[in-house]
Amino acid sequence: MRYRVLAVVAAAVALSVVVATATASSKKATAHTLTVWLQVDAQNGWPDIVAATNSAFEKAHPGWNVDVQYQQWTTHLQKFDATIAGSDTPDVIEMGNTEMTKYMAAGAFTNLTSSQSQFANSKKWLSGMRAWGTYKGKLFGVPYYAGSRVITYRSDLFKKAGFKKPPKSLNQFQSELVKVGKMKKRVKGFSPLYVGGEDWYTALGFVFDYGGSIATFSHGKWHGTLDSKKSLAGLKRFKAFFKATQSKRTATLDASGLGAGNPFPYDVFKQGRTAANYGPAWYTCCTGKKYTKVTQQFVMPSHVKGKAIPGFLGGSDLAVPAQSSSKSQAIDWIADFTGTASEKALEQKGNIPNATNLLGNSVNERAASRSWFVPQATHWVDVENGNIIKTMLGQLLTGQLSVKQAARAASQNIAQTLNGP
Amino acid sequence: MAGRSVPYLLVVPVAAVIGAILGYPMYSLVRLSLQKYDLFALIAHHGTYVGLHNFGSVLHDSIFWHTLLRTVVFTAANVGLTMVLGTLIALLLVRISTWVRLLVTAGLVLVWAMPPVVAVQVWSWMTNSENGVLNYLLAQLHLGNFFQHDWYATPFWQLTMVTTLIVWEALPFVAITLYAALSQVPHELVEAAEIDGARSWRVFKDVTMPVITPVLLILTSLSILWDFGVFTQPFLLIGAGHIVPGNYLMGIYVYEKGYAETNFGLGAAISLLMLVIVAAMSVVYVRRMLRVGEVE
Repeated sequence: MRYRVLAVVAAAVALSVVVATATASSKKATAHTLTVWLQVDAQNGWPDIVAATNSAFEKAHPGWNVDVQYQQWTTHLQKFDATIAGSDTPDVIEMGNTEMTKYMAAGAFTNLTSSQSQFANSKKWLSGMRAWGTYKGKLFGVPYYAGSRVITYRSDLFKKAGFKKPPKSLNQFQSELVKVGKMKKRVKGFSPLYVGGEDWYTALGFVFDYGGSIATFSHGKWHGTLDSKKSLAGLKRFKAFFKATQSKRTATLDASGLGAGNPFPYDVFKQGRTAANYGPAWYTCCTGKKYTKVTQQFVMPSHVKGKAIPGFLGGSDLAVPAQSSSKSQAIDWIADFTGTASEKALEQKGNIPNATNLLGNSVNERAASRSWFVPQATHWVDVENGNIIKTMLGQLLTGQLSVKQAARAASQNIAQTLNGP
Repeated sequence: MAGRSVPYLLVVPVAAVIGAILGYPMYSLVRLSLQKYDLFALIAHHGTYVGLHNFGSVLHDSIFWHTLLRTVVFTAANVGLTMVLGTLIALLLVRISTWVRLLVTAGLVLVWAMPPVVAVQVWSWMTNSENGVLNYLLAQLHLGNFFQHDWYATPFWQLTMVTTLIVWEALPFVAITLYAALSQVPHELVEAAEIDGARSWRVFKDVTMPVITPVLLILTSLSILWDFGVFTQPFLLIGAGHIVPGNYLMGIYVYEKGYAETNFGLGAAISLLMLVIVAAMSVVYVRRMLRVGEVE
């Protein structure tokens, strides 16, 4: 009798195994496909530029087609590692500027030094961007674009509160936000500025504004400096600014639209629940039909009147994995994608293009007048993956730890990670 | 002579298949655990032997011990909830009318059929702090200040949310299997006990339980095995951006050390340690399986 019950158990177990096996996807592979990994930013912000590059490439290379696979920032490196293990890497990969060093040092990419002349404007690349993709004098990454961070705001609300010009200092900005917040206090959950508490790109801008830093290298070792006097001043100012302008419980959100299904900041904007976002300039793309006409941008001011707060200079490189079997085609595609026409179009969308001769005077480019960057250490990417800074911010904003305690713990953790196993 | 070798010949295909799908990966895993195998090695497809160094560094890592303890507590909570709620649902299934039972069973099967990744997405939408229906409902019902409440603010709550999801997904299997087991309880025995004046709890304890105990044990063992190594639900629901040593479970610990930090040798060592733990736990399961066979 009991056999029957056991049979049910056995059948169910067997079934679950079958289902699990069946869900493993099969992969198509044709001889003439160029596989390109781009980040979702391109999918959201400039799919037209990608499409134009692909059709130009396919026209110039009969019999080839381009398979663009969009990746998420949080998981693309692990997926890339898996393809390296299986010798099945993409032919072109977009890498965040903070991610390059570890992979260049390990020899994951093709040396592009001799192909440099194929890339338009390569002689006029911005020196900072060239440095991201250069390791020991060799070029491994082609600069794609950069971006600072700007305030995207609703001009109607600021005007109604009596502010017609962008604020000149952080204090002024904060009091304007508080006033806008009071004006809209009947809208439940409205916060004048929507920033996730764990959005470390925002928080560390304050640290650098007060002269602080993340880590320094001396005597052959990395030292965490988030608990230095100047860094602490910046973190305390960030906490005060956050508490004054966030009427909501966003202290533990990273507000990047990832993880636990958090909405993107511009979605909150679109829903009419905030007057401003701090983020990449291309946020204008997605503030919603209703607010398109009143969406404007300015450079976030520093605590020092008349200056910009240092913005994280984010950016991407395009690299050709060493195991790619279509290297020359990959280089051709990158040359197309970073060509003058593409880069100009990227600039039009509010990004910083890769060469000095293409620069304009956009709010993004003005914001980049003061910027900060992460320590260029081989293990920096492990600090990001370990969510060390995010954890610190969550702790100090919720009051779980004091600013000093949280910063000290993070500092030690960062030093340990950067100095490697 | 030929007759004697037939049994062995018949076993050969099975042995070969097991060797190929279990033996070889195990051999590779053990080899990997003895190597320093990082990004350099991955690109070169070649690691360097470091003996038992990886095991030493895992066992000296306080994060490992904390994670192990957290995972044991997490597993106990998940399995406990799954078994208790599953049994209650099974008992309910026995007592309700046929068409209600059909409806409930259909609901259970739908839950069982939902892929974990989809379930995580639905869960994460429902519990979203900005736009989630859970906060909306709690606010509408005036059950406290849940307006834009972040359900994932602390490691305890992160793992609690994961528990709700895992238990929800595991219930159908347990409930339906136990319902099948309950249908094996002889009616005469229950009736006789009732006539003798036994109350419902007594009937359950002394008549029903002995019959369903073998199935209950097997289900518990299986649930422990599944919940101990769980990865998909915590990793996706908590989100890569919030995975920190303070909320690691064993499955996540392996992933963080092995994949995220590109230290595959260390990852292999941790998975071998996990394998030993899981094997120790399945001894109960295997022995019970054999004993059930003997009784019949």
